[in-house]
Amino acid sequence: MIDQFLQFFSILFDLVSQPSNLLILFASSFIGILFGAMPGLTATLGIALLTTLTYSLNTDTALISLLGMYVGAVYGGSYPAILLNIPGTPAAAATALDGYPMAKRGEGAKALGLTTTASLIGTLIGLVFLVVLSPAIATVALQFTSWEFFLLALFGIIISGSITSQDLVIKGWIAGFLGLFLSTIGRDSLQYFPRYTFEQSQLDSGLEIVPVLIGVFGIPQVIRVLSDRETLGKLTKLSRVLPELAVIKRNIKHIFRSACVGVGIGSVPGIGEDIAGWVSYSVAKKTSNPEEQKKFGQGAEAAIVSSETANNACVGGALIPLLTLGIPGSPPAAMLLGALLLHGITPGPTIEIDHPNFLLEVTAILFLASLAMWANGMLLAKQVLKLLQVPPPLFIPVVGVLCVMGAYSLGINIFNLYIMLPVGVCAYFLSEMKFPLAPLVIGLVLGSMADESLRRALMLSDGSFWPLFDRPVAVILLMIIVGFCAIQIPLVRRGSSAFVNRFFRRANRK
Amino acid sequence: MLRTLLISLLFFLFISDEADAQQAYPKRPITTTVVWSAGGGTDAVNRVIMAEMSKELGVRINVTNKAGGVSGSIGMSSTLRKRPDGYNLVGLASSNVSAAVNGGWREKFDVWYPFIVGSSPDVLSVKADSPYHSLAELVAAAKKSPGSLRASAGGLGSNHHLHLLELSKIADIDLSFIPYSGSAPSQTAAITGEVDLVITSMAEQAQLIRGNKLRPLAMLHPEPFEMLDGIKVPSAFIEFPELSKNLPISQAIGFAVNNKASAVVKRQLADAFNKAMDSSEVKDWARLNYYQLDGLYGEPAQQEFSRLESLFAWSLEALNANKVSPESLNISRPN
Repeated sequence: MIDQFLQFFSILFDLVSQPSNLLILFASSFIGILFGAMPGLTATLGIALLTTLTYSLNTDTALISLLGMYVGAVYGGSYPAILLNIPGTPAAAATALDGYPMAKRGEGAKALGLTTTASLIGTLIGLVFLVVLSPAIATVALQFTSWEFFLLALFGIIISGSITSQDLVIKGWIAGFLGLFLSTIGRDSLQYFPRYTFEQSQLDSGLEIVPVLIGVFGIPQVIRVLSDRETLGKLTKLSRVLPELAVIKRNIKHIFRSACVGVGIGSVPGIGEDIAGWVSYSVAKKTSNPEEQKKFGQGAEAAIVSSETANNACVGGALIPLLTLGIPGSPPAAMLLGALLLHGITPGPTIEIDHPNFLLEVTAILFLASLAMWANGMLLAKQVLKLLQVPPPLFIPVVGVLCVMGAYSLGINIFNLYIMLPVGVCAYFLSEMKFPLAPLVIGLVLGSMADESLRRALMLSDGSFWPLFDRPVAVILLMIIVGFCAIQIPLVRRGSSAFVNRFFRRANRK
Repeated sequence: MLRTLLISLLFFLFISDEADAQQAYPKRPITTTVVWSAGGGTDAVNRVIMAEMSKELGVRINVTNKAGGVSGSIGMSSTLRKRPDGYNLVGLASSNVSAAVNGGWREKFDVWYPFIVGSSPDVLSVKADSPYHSLAELVAAAKKSPGSLRASAGGLGSNHHLHLLELSKIADIDLSFIPYSGSAPSQTAAITGEVDLVITSMAEQAQLIRGNKLRPLAMLHPEPFEMLDGIKVPSAFIEFPELSKNLPISQAIGFAVNNKASAVVKRQLADAFNKAMDSSEVKDWARLNYYQLDGLYGEPAQQEFSRLESLFAWSLEALNANKVSPESLNISRPN
């Protein structure tokens, strides 16, 4: 253990001792943040683009730039989410729910400082898990078969239904079902059967998340601000960005819980940062007491801390199955796998034999990347806040153009715009009718996973639902889902609180 | 702020290089559109070969990804629509030949002038603690209770799936095929025990075999395979010689230029391709990553792709998994 520790520091020192490494680290972290902050440009795309550029670099340097980009991009999505209510990446969508109300109250600086620090702590905790627990976590991740994937997706969908409705709870569910409907568009992935494709080959691969995300969050916000129905946050004074220790301390339990959620979600193959933010957000809400719960959606510190810690902790989590099994834990990690292959490194069970100390090296680079992200973030936050001083009639059209470019840049495909615009207009009317739109996006993200996993699971079990009750992880997930649904029913909720009062709070009363 | 911007600018300047403006083609950077997503085999092979070819051609080659549609149809049709001046290449593999029968587009594959870099042979593996130690044992178990063994081999109609179908036919066994969205999830399913066997390429499985997560039983390739650290895998062709009729179905990873491109463009690309294939970078990379280099281009490569096209098309027709009949596209039956 101590040996490892020393080795870690010697690798760290080696990396830092080359000035060019530091230069590339800060530059790629900076570009990563910009990537995350631009609507439509995601961590996945950033890593994919950088892969070509890093081909001629040596492996260490390439990894520094790729991980710098990854961590930066996951974090950068929070800027537009907080300032404009337009999440820059799917991962930051949950941050917008509370970050934007905070910015509107004039607490933008506080929100940015808090998310920056939460992202740093999240990445660092994820990194600790990566070094210490990766074999154990990889074993658990391998317990996830089609049934568990289905239940996990179902859990996410159920959570989304109960999130954020301003008046009627049912509106969240309706938006969630719309998302599920959108997710069925395209060839089904098991039998290639075309569904709602109208003979359009562009629709064969289904709807891309990013254009829909921009349509759902970007377009309505642009329309609202330009028609003066919504005002952006005011920058009253350039307040301090660096959060006080007391604030961090107050939220430390949220930070730790969210980091665990993030690592867990990240380590499950195939799902990543976007889901981690949501799950962590709703777990934070559900585990808070009723007074705190009321603050969620109105600009709660706990909320932004939870989603931002989780999505960055997810980076470390996603690297666990990638490095130990060669299975990427998230979409950006899949890109990272491609980049590693180019450099002649095949991650997998034999990585420590082929490339001794590779895990420690990645950890050291991730450590540097998170520090670079924090430093860049702290410097950038102040400048970014000044953007709010630009009058909205000048600023918002630029945001609108960036939205359009972001959607187009994904695969340089004009068809994305044909998806984004109608979705945006529909989303505008839905939001005018006070439908929460977040569940729609979650439905789209998770719908195909739920659909595909359930049908494959039934294919494997010859149509029997029995394996659902036969597998330990599945049973745990099932219990969480049932419990979650049960407390939505008023009778059960009253009953359970009476039960808690009777048996657990009596001591307090005496 | 300004300083960081300058630094990032410098960062980009370092790694971009200048075009050489002496010859007729290529004068400006070339774009290669890989029709599968980044991180996969087609993507990796294209990035390696393009990096070498760009040295020979003296211009930058940008590799981008445009996945989607059916069997890569979106990336292929968007490249085909561009001017056939040789500045737009498409990175593809054998699975793309089924785009037409799947209804992705209405073109036969001879619209391309292909260059085949290579392929990684397919291997049949089971979980490390599986009761089956040889192909014979597996086949015997499958014969005992037909349909009880579950197999994964990428998505429906992939070349791995075609290998599975061919093996089932020749060995006269009934395996239930479970589709996954790609090779990686198929392999994970074998490790978690969700399926009993998996067929994917050696390049994709090598780490899992060496890490003792998967046990290789047989190569779906005429030659046995010896891995870098001495693990030997026998060929399935010894037990089932009839496999050689249609196998191996090569992954045929490579790239292509519009067949309408001028002879000059084709010759320049071919020269650069030949030199790149001969370079130690490409050879070493292929050896370390379990790819077998091919090097076919032009007419012989077109013939290979048309053989693959008919194999894929008629296998999908037999599965009733296609949308457009191969007959209506003038794709002949495999002989």
